Amino acid sequence: MRLPALFSVTDVSAHCDLPCGVYDPAQARIEAESIKGIIAKVADNDDPDFRTRAVLIKEQRSQLVKEHLWVLWTDYFKPPHFEKYPNLHTLINEATKLAGASGTKGQFDAAKADELLSKIDEIDAIFKETKQA
Amino acid sequence: MRNATISRVVPSSIPRPRVVRVRGRSMEPTLHEGDLLLTLWGARPRRGCVAVVHLPPDRAGADRPVSVKRITGPDPVEGSRWWLDSDNPREGVTSFDVGSIAPDDVLATVVARLWPRPGKVSTRHTG
Repeated sequence: MRLPALFSVTDVSAHCDLPCGVYDPAQARIEAESIKGIIAKVADNDDPDFRTRAVLIKEQRSQLVKEHLWVLWTDYFKPPHFEKYPNLHTLINEATKLAGASGTKGQFDAAKADELLSKIDEIDAIFKETKQA
Repeated sequence: MRNATISRVVPSSIPRPRVVRVRGRSMEPTLHEGDLLLTLWGARPRRGCVAVVHLPPDRAGADRPVSVKRITGPDPVEGSRWWLDSDNPREGVTSFDVGSIAPDDVLATVVARLWPRPGKVSTRHTG
């Protein structure tokens, strides 16, 4: 045995690195909850300026939902995940569509917002399982 | 690409003890910044063990530092390779980021923590 090797100390890294590895469907859910809140507020408000702002903000939040889900899809989920959860591609596709022009982006429909939230919850359930694995 | 100084510590197949120090938080709560660990260089890893590993280079082609990770088991697709994870789900590069590693990239297994709280670093079977 080489004693110098035993008595010298080597640093081993347990560092974060880029990509940072911090992912969470909570980001998409918060934006979707905001969309649901906007839809509820518009239903009780006839002020045209308020409605204009609501349209703009709902558009932005819907886009953010899509972007957060895309990041999960492209950066977090990996081939073993898609193999284990064959419905994952479809789930993300359906969720991002629900945040698009045929969903919360283009409409003031609280039911669409609820559908979007439940799709995000389904993705979150898979995400949490992969974190426990 | 491998850090030459470190790989030459183990010229033969007989595992050799070596002390390493943990840097970073990706192995919390098992290991913490500054922990001193007793490792066996050249020892064969087992499923669920904590190991010192050589990671693939990053996207810019730069070497990553020699790292301490949990070996969760064989790569589900390529059974001869090892799948890595961090114990802290919020930190650290894992096989989900960089893919599995070849057997030769497992440099050492972690046997015990020497300081603080001396004790065995146990294997953990997940999923």
